[in-house]
Amino acid sequence: MGNFLSYAAAVLVSIAVHVLVVGALLVNWQPTTERIVMQPQFIEAKLVELAPKKKRQIDRPVKPKIDPARKKREADQRRAVQKQKAAALKRQQEQALKAEALEKKQAAEAERKRIATEFAKTLAEEEAQINAQEDDRIANSYRQVIQQRLSENWSRPPSARRDMETVIRMQLVPTGRVVGVTVLLSSGDIAFDRSVEQAAFKAEQFFELQQMAPEMFERRFREVDVAFSPRDLRL
Amino acid sequence: MNEENLSIVALITNASLLVQLVMATLFLMSVLSWIMIVQRALFLNGALRSFREFEDTFWSGIDLNQLYQDLNDQTQEQGPVDGIENVFHAGFREFNRLAQTDKADPDAVMEGTDRAMRVALSREEEKLSTNLPFLASVASVSPYIGLFGTVWGIMNSFRGLAMVQQATLATVAPGISEALIATAMGLFAAIPAVIAYNRYAAQVEVINGNYETFSDEFSSILHRQVHSR
Repeated sequence: MGNFLSYAAAVLVSIAVHVLVVGALLVNWQPTTERIVMQPQFIEAKLVELAPKKKRQIDRPVKPKIDPARKKREADQRRAVQKQKAAALKRQQEQALKAEALEKKQAAEAERKRIATEFAKTLAEEEAQINAQEDDRIANSYRQVIQQRLSENWSRPPSARRDMETVIRMQLVPTGRVVGVTVLLSSGDIAFDRSVEQAAFKAEQFFELQQMAPEMFERRFREVDVAFSPRDLRL
Repeated sequence: MNEENLSIVALITNASLLVQLVMATLFLMSVLSWIMIVQRALFLNGALRSFREFEDTFWSGIDLNQLYQDLNDQTQEQGPVDGIENVFHAGFREFNRLAQTDKADPDAVMEGTDRAMRVALSREEEKLSTNLPFLASVASVSPYIGLFGTVWGIMNSFRGLAMVQQATLATVAPGISEALIATAMGLFAAIPAVIAYNRYAAQVEVINGNYETFSDEFSSILHRQVHSR
């Protein structure tokens, strides 16, 4: 009977111990650091264009201006008419009228031509802009490729912090190979800068750039500026 | 996933079924082993105390027949007695029975008495070491069970890692943390069991030694008595 009692006491004690332990865990276990929201898995390495693209304003065709020469000529004619006698006046007037008509016609002609050239120019400009947009689109897709490759090759040092940013300039050749890297803007942390440089060197060659039109490469990808900033870090 | 809660409860409820089973097993083992630990502590302390008391009364010069009679009464009141009383009771009863027969050979009497005491002793030893094998197996097995849960959990969390392109520590850390709870629980169950097992094994050894010494002394008293007639 003492046996039974001792078992009952043991069960009680054991359960009490476990309840205590579990309770202590439930009450006291707070994660000391707040859980950080998971950022997208990719490191954001955004390409920075140093010279921002100018917004070109499309010139609307301007309304033809009134020709001041014409007025002057009319006044001249009027003065001539006053000097001559009335006999010549009617003929002169007819002549003047004819001349005026001719003048008007010429002016209209010139005006039409001017509008036409203006229109052509605007059209060309617009086309150029559309081309530029298309170029931008293509260039952006290549930039994205570069960005992805760089972020894959980027291993950040432990000293990396969220607000650091390093801008590097990569010199590329048309095969897509990286021939030079210079740090344009240092983050202040040498290890971080070096990791960025290493990322560029490790990427080594962007084969995708070989498919690009040569003039676009010359214009946009001979030198590429990239900003590195670890946005997904907690600190 | 982003509002992930890292409290113990959340980790346990988010664990996979197998890991949860492992944890439940370990918890149960821990509860049972604590029951054994407390029960054995009470039992062994009681046994040691009653041995001391009995030894005191035994050597106080009390008449052995009187003592035997008291024990008999006690047995009738409370059921069979435990511990050294049992050894004494068995030995003395056998001695009395053998000695009351007419042509009792003293050696035969002693032999019978010793045998009876030996039987009682081994019964007592058995009683002392009940549940100790359970403690021993909890001590040795539960770390392995916990390790199994952990390995399984880490396996799963690494398999999840394979799907992710940019592997950061934050993608595996919750899984591993969750898996490690199993190991923690295994150790939680094992450590008290190991300590208790070692301690109780030593204690059983001591008590057993005491019993044996007592039974030898008692046997020598009886021997004196049977040969002095």
